Amino acid sequence: MWLKIIGGVLVIVVSSSIGLQLAARCSGRPKHIRQLVSCLGSLKSYITYACLPLDEALLQCTHGIEGPVADFFHHTAALLQENGVLSPGQAIHTVLEDLQGRLLLQKEELEVLEVLGANLGVMNRHEQGQYLSMIIEQLEKLETEAGRIRDLNTKMYRYLGVCSGLAVVILLL
Amino acid sequence: MNNSRNNKHQNMLEKFIYPALPPHLVAIISGIPSDQLAYITEIRLRVNQPLLLVLGNVDIMLSSTGKIVTEGTRAYICSKEDINKALQLMSRNSMYAFEQELKMGFITIHGGHRVGLAGQAIIDDGEIKALKNISSLNIRIAREIQGCGDSVFPYLIASGNRIVSTLLISAPCCGKTTLLRDLIRKISTGNKECRGLQVGVVDERSEIAACKHGIPTVDLGRRTDVLDACPKARGMLMLIRSMSPAVIATDELGRAEDVYAVREALHAGVSVLATVHGRDVQEVLQRPYVGELIQSKYFDRYVVLSDKPRIGTIEQIIDSKQSKVLWSAL
Repeated sequence: MWLKIIGGVLVIVVSSSIGLQLAARCSGRPKHIRQLVSCLGSLKSYITYACLPLDEALLQCTHGIEGPVADFFHHTAALLQENGVLSPGQAIHTVLEDLQGRLLLQKEELEVLEVLGANLGVMNRHEQGQYLSMIIEQLEKLETEAGRIRDLNTKMYRYLGVCSGLAVVILLL
Repeated sequence: MNNSRNNKHQNMLEKFIYPALPPHLVAIISGIPSDQLAYITEIRLRVNQPLLLVLGNVDIMLSSTGKIVTEGTRAYICSKEDINKALQLMSRNSMYAFEQELKMGFITIHGGHRVGLAGQAIIDDGEIKALKNISSLNIRIAREIQGCGDSVFPYLIASGNRIVSTLLISAPCCGKTTLLRDLIRKISTGNKECRGLQVGVVDERSEIAACKHGIPTVDLGRRTDVLDACPKARGMLMLIRSMSPAVIATDELGRAEDVYAVREALHAGVSVLATVHGRDVQEVLQRPYVGELIQSKYFDRYVVLSDKPRIGTIEQIIDSKQSKVLWSAL
């Protein structure tokens, strides 16, 4: 009997934690996109106003931001400093692969970041500013969409986790 | 002495020039004997043409294994990719940071080394907007030779602890900027005959002071203020108003506004130390705008340099007011 109770509790705990993790991913996505937008806004200023070299601008643009999004910019800067032959696009691609799982981003945002890398550093200041504005605009749209999905799904994942655990336990008992 | 010079040059190449070149080109260039490396003045890369190293008055071609070759067919041929990679390294993936320089056809890399560019110009409203499809790079290796102005400095000192306005004249690649840098250091530091003076440097091309984050990386003396990457004319006027220098130094006068700014400085009681392209005074006299400065005798001294027998040779020092040659090697 005790064995059944312990097994049932374990099933509920595991399914609930899966639900909570999915809910966290759901609510983490708009947060990460928001942080990306904030950093890219700073990056635009550092490029168009302060005219800082790209690696330095990437390091400076994360003021006030911590976690995987800041790491994304810092690691890209570090890669560019370590290996000057690497293009920003290659550096961003490598860092996105390294941070897979930590950055709570979907395919759409990752594609936007890959596109960002393709044209970073090769334009003049004005065009670079316009280009970053376009990238920011795209991410803002994705953030709105991610926010809508979060509102819809976060609670659902949490309840689904607990309820599916309970359902499995009831069926097994 | 030669060994120390070779080592110094080698260190400079490793620190500033090699990081600006793709690794396989570094392997080729670093393969030549160190006594020859010490005499490199230019590295020239042209798409589909041999990699050229200029050593003073001669140039050499290198094979892909770094051996000196005489036939072009055996030489390493530069590709478009080499030029693009070099530009990527020089600009640190930040072409936007060199927008103004690109319009003028050069960028300056760390250490104050100027890289000349040639390619296709993009014109907007009759003005050069940018350069695209860059097909040639000329990396000019700047040298800091402390003491190269020792023989010139005494001729620039006037009574009342003053430095006379001086124009350094030479064709390109004869050591004008190197001499200018040493004279700035001497004026700023001072000696027994002339105590140190406040010097303002307008370093439009970042060649004189080789600034990194606005701070000079070469020794320009204790009393020198540097306005880095600032247009000469505006910079000179800014320095006069804000830093009250006794001497203003700048490189390569040429435009109408430069001449206007020099006049402003001289009328404000500031001495000007500048350089200009030309083989001799007569040649500079024929140049538009700068010729007016010669005609009106705005400068007190002309120092004429040449590259014969070697770069940095002082040919003449002329007192312009008295039209008298004070020193001549001719």
